Amino acid sequence: MAKSDRKELGSENMGQEADVTTIPVLEEIRNHGKVWEELAAQYGVTNPDPPWKITMDATCDILAADSNVVPHAQVVPGSCALPLLERRTEEDDLSTTIYADVPFPERQLLALAHSMIRHGLINEEELARQMEEVGRRLKSV
Amino acid sequence: MSEHDHKPAPMVDEVSDFEILEMAVRELAIEKGLFSAEDHRIWTEYVHTLGPTPAARLVAKAWLDPEYKKLAVADGVAASKAVGVDWVNSPPTKFGTPSDYCNLRVLEDTPTLKHVVVCTLCSCYPRPILGQSPEWYRTPNYRRRLVRWPRQVLSEFGLQLPPEVQIRVADSNQKTRYIVLPVRPAGTEGWTEDQLTEIVTRDCLIGVAVPKPGVKSNIKLPVHKAVHPVQHGHGH
Repeated sequence: MAKSDRKELGSENMGQEADVTTIPVLEEIRNHGKVWEELAAQYGVTNPDPPWKITMDATCDILAADSNVVPHAQVVPGSCALPLLERRTEEDDLSTTIYADVPFPERQLLALAHSMIRHGLINEEELARQMEEVGRRLKSV
Repeated sequence: MSEHDHKPAPMVDEVSDFEILEMAVRELAIEKGLFSAEDHRIWTEYVHTLGPTPAARLVAKAWLDPEYKKLAVADGVAASKAVGVDWVNSPPTKFGTPSDYCNLRVLEDTPTLKHVVVCTLCSCYPRPILGQSPEWYRTPNYRRRLVRWPRQVLSEFGLQLPPEVQIRVADSNQKTRYIVLPVRPAGTEGWTEDQLTEIVTRDCLIGVAVPKPGVKSNIKLPVHKAVHPVQHGHGH
C-alpha cells in the first residue's frame, strides 16, 4: 500500500511497507518444508487446516493485543508487540513477493516469523536454535 | 476381542518444518515475555470454540420469529446472546467494549437488496459469531475487487443476481463487524430451527451465497492473486 493511500485512510502511523528481502532461516523452510496440502493428501487427511493454524492465529492475536479492536490511529505506540494492521499489511506485501508461491496458511506463518524478525522481536540465530531444539523434541520418538 | 478393533481415522504421521516453526516462534515469544504460556493457552481454547453455527442459528431464529428478527437487525450484540455469544465477556481478554469490537450489525437482505461483507483494509471478520475467516476473504484480490465489481465477484462464487437486485457492500473495520441475514428460501416451509440452521452456511453469512434447501457446504474457490500489487491503489 502506498503511503499516500495510508494517509487517506487516516492511518498515518500505519506500518511501513514490508522489507521483502529474504531471511535465510525462513528461506530454508520455504524451499524444503512440506506444506499441509501435501501432507494431508499423502496421509489421506481431510482436515483443511493444519493443527498448528489455531495456535498460530492465537499468537497473532496476542501479539496484536488491543490493536485488534481499536482503530489503528488510536493504537498507543508500544502497547502491543506487533500491531494487527502492520502485520497484515506486511503479510500482504510478502504474499505477493517472496512467499507468493507458498500456500495458505504456511504463507501466513512465514510472514509472521518474517515480521517478528524485522520488528526485532526475535532474531534469526535464536529462531534457528529454537527450531533445532523443537525439532529434536518432536522427533524424539 | 480388542476394544480398539475399529479403524482409526487417518492422521499425518510426520513432523513438518512449518509445525516446528510455529512452535519455535511461540516458544521464543514466551521466553522473551511477549506473552505468557497461560495467556496463549486460554486464547487458543477460546478460538477453538468459535465457528459459524451461532450466526447460522441467529438467522434461522430470525426467519422463524419476527420479533427476534427485529432485535437482530436493531441490536446484533443483544441478539447474539440468544445463540450463546457474548461479544463483551466471552473473549478471555475481555476485549469487547460497547463502542468497539462488539458492534455487530446484522444486514437484512430483501428480494431486491443483497448485502455482502468485506474488509478492504485487512481481514476484520465477526469471529466471535462466525469463527475464522476463509482464505479467500483475506486475499487482496477479493478485498479490492468486491468493492469495485461486486456483481462480477459474486458470479464467480456462483451467485448470479438479476439486474434489479441492488448489491450493497459492507466494509468491516475495527468498530463494526457484519453478518448477512439472507432471505429465507422457498421450499423450507414448516422446517425446524435446526433444519434451517443447517442451510445457512458461512458463505451465506458473508453474503457470497444464498441459502438453498439441500446445500450445507461452502464453495471451494480457487484463490487468485491480485492483478496489481497490493501496495498500489488500496485506499478505497
